[in-house]
Amino acid sequence: MSEPVRIDDTLWEIPATARDDMRVPARVFADAELLAAIRTDKSLEQLQNVATLPGIVEAAIAMPDIHQGYGFPVGGLAATASPDGVVSPGGVGYDINCGVRLLAAPLTHGELDARRRGALVEAIARRVPTGAGKGGPLALRGAELDAVLAHGPRWLVEHRGVGTDDDVKATESEGRLEGADPAQVSPRARERGSGQLGTVGSGNHFIELQRVEDLIDRETAARFGLRKGQVTVLIHSGSRGLGHQVCTDYVRTMDRALERHGIVLPDRQLSCAPLDSDEGRAYLAAMAAAANFAWANRHAIAHGVRRAIADVLGADAAGGTRQVYDVAHNVAKLEQHGGRTVCVHRKGATRAFPGQAVFIPGSMGTASYVLAGREGSMERSFGTVCHGAGRRLSRTAAKKQVEGGALRRELEAAGIAVRAASSRGLAEEAPLAYKDVDAVVRVVEQAGLAGRVARLRPIGVVKG
Amino acid sequence: MESSHRWIEHTAELQLEIHGRSEAAVFRQAVHALRELLEDEDADGPATGARVERPVEAEATDRGALLAEWLAELVFLAETEGLVPDEARDLVVGEDSVTAVVVGRTCEPRHLVKAVTYHDLELHRDRDGWRGNVVLDV
Repeated sequence: MSEPVRIDDTLWEIPATARDDMRVPARVFADAELLAAIRTDKSLEQLQNVATLPGIVEAAIAMPDIHQGYGFPVGGLAATASPDGVVSPGGVGYDINCGVRLLAAPLTHGELDARRRGALVEAIARRVPTGAGKGGPLALRGAELDAVLAHGPRWLVEHRGVGTDDDVKATESEGRLEGADPAQVSPRARERGSGQLGTVGSGNHFIELQRVEDLIDRETAARFGLRKGQVTVLIHSGSRGLGHQVCTDYVRTMDRALERHGIVLPDRQLSCAPLDSDEGRAYLAAMAAAANFAWANRHAIAHGVRRAIADVLGADAAGGTRQVYDVAHNVAKLEQHGGRTVCVHRKGATRAFPGQAVFIPGSMGTASYVLAGREGSMERSFGTVCHGAGRRLSRTAAKKQVEGGALRRELEAAGIAVRAASSRGLAEEAPLAYKDVDAVVRVVEQAGLAGRVARLRPIGVVKG
Repeated sequence: MESSHRWIEHTAELQLEIHGRSEAAVFRQAVHALRELLEDEDADGPATGARVERPVEAEATDRGALLAEWLAELVFLAETEGLVPDEARDLVVGEDSVTAVVVGRTCEPRHLVKAVTYHDLELHRDRDGWRGNVVLDV
C-alpha cells in the first residue's frame, strides 16, 4: 500500500498517482497515533478503491474513526458529480440512515437516584424492543407503510399522534429526503421492515442514558438547550431490515449492470451506476424511502423513551423531554458544494454544516460528544465529520478479551445501569473494541471541521 | 475431505471461509455456518421450535454471487420467519441457480445477519475441492 504523505497536522494524503486506477487522491484526517492504528487494517486500501469511482470529485476522504469495512471503509465519504458521476449503494451501506438522536430531559443527574436510574433503564427496555426480533409497537403495512416511506416521521405525528412537530423540525432534512419513491422498495424489503418500526435492533445499536458531564462551548450548548448535569438520552439505530434489503437489492442490480455501463471496479461491493441512469435513479428513490423509514424509526423509539420517562418520572418529565437534534451517518444526499450539485456518500460519517449539532457516541462506558459543525467542514470535507470512536478490534477479538458478564458488572460498578439482550452482544461492543473517542474528536476539532460543545457520560445503557 | 468452515477476523464484520468436496458441499456447509451464527451462545442448548421446510431458490450470473444469493435467501428466512436452518435437502446446483428444500426450526434467533456482501466474494475449485469466501454484515 502507498505511503500517506503528511499535508498538515491533521491531514494525510495518498496521491492519485499512487495507483493507475485512482481518479482522485485519498485523504485521511488523523494524528500520527490514529494513523498508525488505521494502518493496521485495510482501511486505506479500501479508501484508495473508493478513489477509483467514476465521477468522484476532489478526493476520497476519511475521518479519524475510519476502519476497514467491505467495499467502502467505514468512516469515509465520497462526492460524485454528473455527467459521469455514479451512486453506489455500498457507499451508504446496508443500514441506510443509521444515525443518532439526542433527547434532553428536564432534570439533572442529581435528581435521578440509583433506584430511579435503574427503573428508567428497565422501563426503556420494556417500552422499546431491542435485539434481533420484530415485535415493534407500530406494525405498518400497505398504504400506511408507503406513507412513512414517502413522508417519514411527520406522518407518525399527524396520523398516529407519535412525537411532535418540534421533533420533526429538529431532525436533519426534517426527517424526509426528497424523491423518496415507495414503489422502488421491493416487497422483500417491506416484509423485513414492516414489523420493525420503533425497534432498536442488535449489533452496535443502543439507547444510552447520560449526564452532561462538561460544557466546552457554553454559548452553543445554551443554543442546543443543554445544561451541565442534565440527563440526556442518545438513540442509535437505523432502517433495520428494510434498509438492509434495499441495499442488498441494489448492490445486486448494479453489479449486473456494471458491464453495460462500462464501469470497472477493484471491488464488487463498490458496485454503482451513473446518477442519471435508470438503476441510479431507482436506487436514490429507494434509499430516500429507507432513510425516511429510519427517521420514523428513531422518532418512534424516542416516543417509547418518553413513555418510559412518564412511567418512572411522571408525565411532566416526559412532556418536557426535548429533542436536541437527529443526524444520519449512513446516507447519500444531493447537495451544493463548490457551486455545483454533488452526490455526497457518507458511510459512517456525519453531516456537519456550520452551526449544526453533531453527536459522536463513544463506546459503552466512555464519553460521547456533542459537536457543532464549522466552516472548515464545507471547505475540506463536503460538510462532514466523523461518526463515532471507530472499531479497533474485531468482534471475535473483543470476545476473547472480555466476558459479557464481567463487563456488565464492571459497568454497573462504574455507575452505568446495563440492560442487554445478549451477553455475547455486550462483549462484542466492549469499550476496548473501539478507538479513543477523545482522540478522534480532538482531530476533527483541530482540523476545523467541528467544535466540541459538550461531553456526555453514560449512566445507563439498553443494548440489543 | 470433510466439509468445513471457519470465521476469519475482520474489524467490523464476519468473513466466512468454506471448504467442500464439491460445490454442493460448500452450499450445504453454508447452512451449517449460518445456523452456528444464528444460535445463541448464551442459550443452554440448540434453539428449539417448530420444524419447518421451505423451498429455496437463488439465481446469479457467476459462482461467487450464487453463494452470496444462497446465503441471502437464508438470511431473509431467518429475519422474516425466525427460521434457523439445519440442513438443505434435495440441493441442486445448476449453471446459474441453486435450489433446495431448507429444513429448520422457527424460533427467535438472537443474532441476525444484516446482509451478505459482494466483497471478496469467491467460489472456485482449489487443490482439495471447492472453496467459498463471503463477508457478512452483522
